[in-house]
Amino acid sequence: MLASISAATLTGAVGRPVSVEVHVSNGLPGFTIVGLPDAAVRESRDRVRAALLSSGLPWPLRRVTVNLAPSGVRKGGAGLDLAIAIGVLVATGELPAASTDGWAFCGELGLNGSLRHVPGMIALADAIPPSLGLVVPLSDMREAALVRGEAAHGVATLAELAAILRGQSPWPVMPEAPATSPGGLGGPDLADVRGQRVGRHALEVAAAGHHHLLMVGPPGSGKTMLAERLPGLLPPLTPEESLEVTRVHSAAGRELPHGALVSQPPFRAPHHLASLTSLVGGGSWSMRPGEISLASHGVLFLDEMGEFPVAALEALRQPLEEGVIRISRAGGTVTFPARFLLVGAMNPCPCGEGMTRGACNCSVVERARYTRRLSAPLLDRFDLVVPLARPDPDELLSPEPGPPTAESAARVTAARALAAARVGHPEPPLQPAAKHLISQRLRAGELTARGVQKVGMVARTVADLLGAETVTEAHVSDALSLRMARSVVTQ
Amino acid sequence: MTALPPEAYAAALASHEGVGPATLRRLLASDRPEVAWSRSGYAGDVRAIWLRHMDAGITVLTADSPGYPARLVGDPESPPVLFCRGSSGVVSKHPTVALVGTRSPTRYGIGVAAQFGADLAALGVSVVSGLALGIDGAAHEGACASGAPPVAVVAGGLDDPYPRRHARLWDRIVEQGVVFSENPAGVRTEKWRFPKRNHLLAALSDVVVVIESRHGGGAMHTVSAALERGTPVGAVPGSIRSPASEGTNALLFDGCFPVRDVADIVAALSLCGIVLPTSVARCSTVDPPPEVVGPDADVLDALSYDPSSLDQLARVTDMELSALCGALERLASVGMASQDGGWWFRI
Repeated sequence: MLASISAATLTGAVGRPVSVEVHVSNGLPGFTIVGLPDAAVRESRDRVRAALLSSGLPWPLRRVTVNLAPSGVRKGGAGLDLAIAIGVLVATGELPAASTDGWAFCGELGLNGSLRHVPGMIALADAIPPSLGLVVPLSDMREAALVRGEAAHGVATLAELAAILRGQSPWPVMPEAPATSPGGLGGPDLADVRGQRVGRHALEVAAAGHHHLLMVGPPGSGKTMLAERLPGLLPPLTPEESLEVTRVHSAAGRELPHGALVSQPPFRAPHHLASLTSLVGGGSWSMRPGEISLASHGVLFLDEMGEFPVAALEALRQPLEEGVIRISRAGGTVTFPARFLLVGAMNPCPCGEGMTRGACNCSVVERARYTRRLSAPLLDRFDLVVPLARPDPDELLSPEPGPPTAESAARVTAARALAAARVGHPEPPLQPAAKHLISQRLRAGELTARGVQKVGMVARTVADLLGAETVTEAHVSDALSLRMARSVVTQ
Repeated sequence: MTALPPEAYAAALASHEGVGPATLRRLLASDRPEVAWSRSGYAGDVRAIWLRHMDAGITVLTADSPGYPARLVGDPESPPVLFCRGSSGVVSKHPTVALVGTRSPTRYGIGVAAQFGADLAALGVSVVSGLALGIDGAAHEGACASGAPPVAVVAGGLDDPYPRRHARLWDRIVEQGVVFSENPAGVRTEKWRFPKRNHLLAALSDVVVVIESRHGGGAMHTVSAALERGTPVGAVPGSIRSPASEGTNALLFDGCFPVRDVADIVAALSLCGIVLPTSVARCSTVDPPPEVVGPDADVLDALSYDPSSLDQLARVTDMELSALCGALERLASVGMASQDGGWWFRI
């Protein structure tokens, strides 16, 4: 009359093991769920009942009590449907109790008895004790197998699962994983961009040195186009990064690529009207990862940066510094990864024409109000503040494609290798002329101490991109020119 | 209780609702302020109004007051009651030049305004301006740094600095010179008050110079008021492509004298019979330009006086970006090139 089934639920990006206890007793027919269920869990009664009946399995006309233990943890989502259904079957004697020993069940039920996708399968699979086998919907099997390997089994319908547990049929064989498309970087290519030498150069520097990039330019100067092509310049994710990114994407309920593992740096471009919670993550208690965590190990692109609410922009400062975001709510604290490359784009002023002299009709007040959104500390996080101009009409209309992503990516890879080889060795000294140029700027008050450090770092990346050993005056000049739009946004 | 001075009644009349300059002039034309107040039958706490002005450090001047600027006496629009903070006498002791222009200037305009402001003040000329954002503010910033006391004419009450951003500049002008207004304390700065303010500004100036003005800009009110009074009006020439210079270039076409440097303003002053104690040498740029060779020369050739983006320069010179930036920095260090927000141009 009592069954106890292992399952898991999701809090933020972290799974927690849940024991689903089902008790069936005599009394008025009824169904009660206790143990802090949310609305989706409470509604599982109707799904479970319909699924059992559609699968040709009986629904007990007796009193059914479901307890989700530990009872202090909130349980959300429909992922407990399958465990409840199995629990009912065991408690009513339809399935032998021993058949579910050593198994955990995660999956949502359709009214027709089919098993449906559950978001965050990786985290759920992580939460199940390693000694247990895991039964998941067929569509989630690849995801579960990433962390459970052979112990994960995919099943298409409830009827099929009941037959297997009764020993009437064998576990289905895991279908062959589709080959991960090799080399297919996907995403748009830099060859589509005409002209924009400065923009391309800025992308390479940003990708090679992980320098956050702010592009300032009028509408139509290709800011968005360039930003979308930045992930193609970043190196593919390492296996650890890949798993971390996949975990977060899985927890956010995002559709994962074939083969389940996210292997390319993600690109996220939230709209400026996105809420603070959707950006940094959170929620009253379900604590979902936000855009900045989805962009982890990839690119977070904020178009129209001047239009984002100040609170949203300021919330970026801590993750930019620490690489993680800690979200605290009354229900507890969760930590999500947030190690992203920040790319901002903005017009120099509300009308956008501010860089072209005399063409701008914005008043001083309007311009100041527009640029004030970017606080000085946030602006300081951008090593590159690059002025962009509209491309030359001849170049724009030329049928010849621009240099492709592969070319830039090769330079970035080489530069990263040079930088990696330098780790642990003393920095090669700056050329005297380069040092002179920096100290000149420092004395003139055009650079702060922090600015000097940033220019030095960017100049080092520029030198790496050119394969140079010492940083020369030209590299420093280049680094200086890559931050010249600062004067536009700090009026 | 001490008796109130006549200025207190003048301030009370000016503060009364519905009393404009015309009514005020009519009321004060034949009677002393206290008589005019009692005859007008207006109700109001004269003492409270008076104290409000005293507390804010505002001096109230009627045409009979000793501090009333002599140059306003006989002016067709001389304000019957004038409010000021600072020492009103400075406008009588120094020659005055109005530097006016648009509230959204280019960097060129800001630079010229600040330089003229500083140079004129150093020559002992009081710079008159409206304390607005843009050209006005830049001219006063320059003037406050050195020499003759600055003069400001504002549209609202003197107890509430407007625009807020110029509150500090406002205080400095009060300290070093004087701020005038036709309106009593408590009057808010509203758009429709600006033309009247500009007329007073013109009346207080020996010469009016427009630095940058858009087509139909507010500076044109100052210009027409100055022309009505026979005050010489000069304009600073600007690029024919810059909307901020549309108004000034049109003024030049209409016959205003062109202002290339402070010497031109001094010449205009001397034509009005005002001779400055110090002579001014015309600014000259006779320093031979340093010789530029190699790739830097190509970059210099590619640069024009209009700003170009780095992209354009890279395309024209076909140079590596790093090398191009290096060349530009070298040209900048010898004063042959400059940049603004990443756009490079020759100087």
